[in-house]
Amino acid sequence: MFSRNHRSRVTVARGSALEMEFKRGRFRLSLLCDPPEDTELQRKLDHEIRMREGACKLLAACSQREQALEATKSLLVCNSRILNYMGELQRRKEAQVLKKTGRRPSDSGPPTERSPCRGQICISDLRIPLMWKDTEYFKNKGDLHRWAVFLLLQIGEHIQDTEMILVDRTLTDISFQNNVLFAEAGPDFELRLELYGACVEEEGALAGAPKRLATKLSSSLGRSSGRRVRASLETAGGSGSSPILLPTPAVGGPRYHLLAHTTLTLAAVQDGFRTHDLTLATPEENPAWLPLYGSVCCRLVAQPLCMIQPTASGTLRVQQAGEPRDWVQVHGVLKGTNLFCYRQPEDTDAGDEPLFTIAINKETQVRAGELDQAAGWPFTLSISNRYGEEEVTHALQAESRGALQSWMEALWQLFFDMSQWKQCCDEIMKIETPAPRKPPQVLAKQGSLYHEMAIEPLDDIAAVTDILAQREGARLETPPPWLAVFTDQPALPGPCSPASVAPAPARIHSLPWGRPRTFSLDAVPPDHSPGASRLVAPLPLQRSPRSRGLCSKGPPHTWLQSPV
Amino acid sequence: MFLWPGQPFLLSVQQRVEIHKLRQGENLILGFSIGGGIDQDPSQNPFSEDKTDKGIYVTRVSEGGPAEIAGLQIGDKIMQVNGWDMTMVTHDQARKRLTKRSEEVVRLLVTRQSLDTTSMLCLPPILASAHCWVPNSEGQERIPGPA
Repeated sequence: MFSRNHRSRVTVARGSALEMEFKRGRFRLSLLCDPPEDTELQRKLDHEIRMREGACKLLAACSQREQALEATKSLLVCNSRILNYMGELQRRKEAQVLKKTGRRPSDSGPPTERSPCRGQICISDLRIPLMWKDTEYFKNKGDLHRWAVFLLLQIGEHIQDTEMILVDRTLTDISFQNNVLFAEAGPDFELRLELYGACVEEEGALAGAPKRLATKLSSSLGRSSGRRVRASLETAGGSGSSPILLPTPAVGGPRYHLLAHTTLTLAAVQDGFRTHDLTLATPEENPAWLPLYGSVCCRLVAQPLCMIQPTASGTLRVQQAGEPRDWVQVHGVLKGTNLFCYRQPEDTDAGDEPLFTIAINKETQVRAGELDQAAGWPFTLSISNRYGEEEVTHALQAESRGALQSWMEALWQLFFDMSQWKQCCDEIMKIETPAPRKPPQVLAKQGSLYHEMAIEPLDDIAAVTDILAQREGARLETPPPWLAVFTDQPALPGPCSPASVAPAPARIHSLPWGRPRTFSLDAVPPDHSPGASRLVAPLPLQRSPRSRGLCSKGPPHTWLQSPV
Repeated sequence: MFLWPGQPFLLSVQQRVEIHKLRQGENLILGFSIGGGIDQDPSQNPFSEDKTDKGIYVTRVSEGGPAEIAGLQIGDKIMQVNGWDMTMVTHDQARKRLTKRSEEVVRLLVTRQSLDTTSMLCLPPILASAHCWVPNSEGQERIPGPA
């Protein structure tokens, strides 16, 4: 039984104009010829459309829930990218049309505003802490409730997604291993981060729905989603208010819900880990709701191009500070916050050390001038830095007026970039190249131990005779020291059934796996001498990671008292 | 246990105790200690009648603390805390239910063993001064009754 909620379905109506365009494999919003950037965007759009078709086919073909989740995720990401690109194309067309119908472009146009250089933004080590309550342990006895989550990150028209991670109550955080890199971002970027989740278990009896889902996806569009598609085309691509991801179809299949979102800007950039607040978006009643702590921890770094690429280079004559006051001819390279002066142009490639380096930062003073009296090279540039009390000035000479102007221009641009990129220009922040995306791992379903245990009569008999032998047998000997590895803490939170009593082992079980035994409530625990507060090691669990939630310790020997 | 007329007997009385937590720095304290829990050894409980009782008992009450002011007594068995059951919880769960940072007031439902002296009052004077017998597992023992 499924319920159609108010979210619209993302599909294209049969026979609609949009569908025809998709069928033709292209989407063109106007008949005007496109400038080169648009063809690039067009190419990306075509690529996404092809990916989308592939994802639909995959969704129809997959049988397992995890595969369906992956396929749905790819499909949704493709859809949102498509809408994004279409919106962007529309905007560009409109801008073009406005320009053409507006004033005529003249040779000496209005002075171009200085724009800051682009940069690379990298977000990595994303971690979202979870806050499981006691109730989570009691709600789903025996069955491990699981969710599939992933993150969508968007700057402008670029949308990137992380891998899909399966989350259950044994995890304390959702950690994404990906490094997400955005290549061309300005200092005024807005990185929108959204967390989407879906239940791994079926919501209702909808087995076999994927095929139906896929056909529906590729062939129909309801009226409301059509309106939504048009609305998103009208707004600029990547508006902050609406979620990046389009709503999922209500027909069968996994449904992803937006769990939380946040927007990060330049102020959040730091060469280190920072915690940011998340705005939670789903109420607790939603099946995909996860107990998020409410924050996200990540490392957001930015590398402006001015810091990593040389912005200007050329021949200069520098007067070395101090004696002797000679003019040395150098090859200067302006890169980042330094002006490197190399002996020869080839040295830069060879990786040799520069002759010397002049620091250029926010406090540096630069003055240009033309000296009539200087012989040969009248065009001068002086760079002053203040180191504590001292002011150090380097005098430089440029070859020609043109060279001087281009040096000045480069320096002005650098100062402007530094003022825009702020803390990113203090030091180069390291960005690790993102590792190639690993193929989605199909995790083995971590059911509870009850699902895994095979009941074999032989084992039963062996175990029972063991237990009986131990009961009749000698008093408890001191357990061997290495048994301490398997000792459980006395106070185990979780669905620890008080009824499960395991016999105190005097020796190790010879069973191939240390399967705990569950006895009825009437079972009398082995008699211990009263007052013996010696901690007896519980039944060793060879599957220690699975021991969560499983009580197979011996009868308690402590009577703790705690102040409150 | 069987009763003689006029004999004081142990009565389980349910009491409702409302404790207002006291702020001590960063913590909110109640001023008592608890013992017990389903993961603890009940035979070591000095306050329980039945030595298989795995409930939560009050083992200590700080002098002048919020619990003492509210009327909690040592030996009380805590049945509920703000509506949450405390008869089938582990020691740690019990502690957590009492020390929730979001709650400034906890309303406990406790069971207390107390001597019932009312029966004494409605007895004819002759019998009121008779000796009282308190049977126990090892046979009867004479204990002097109240005057």
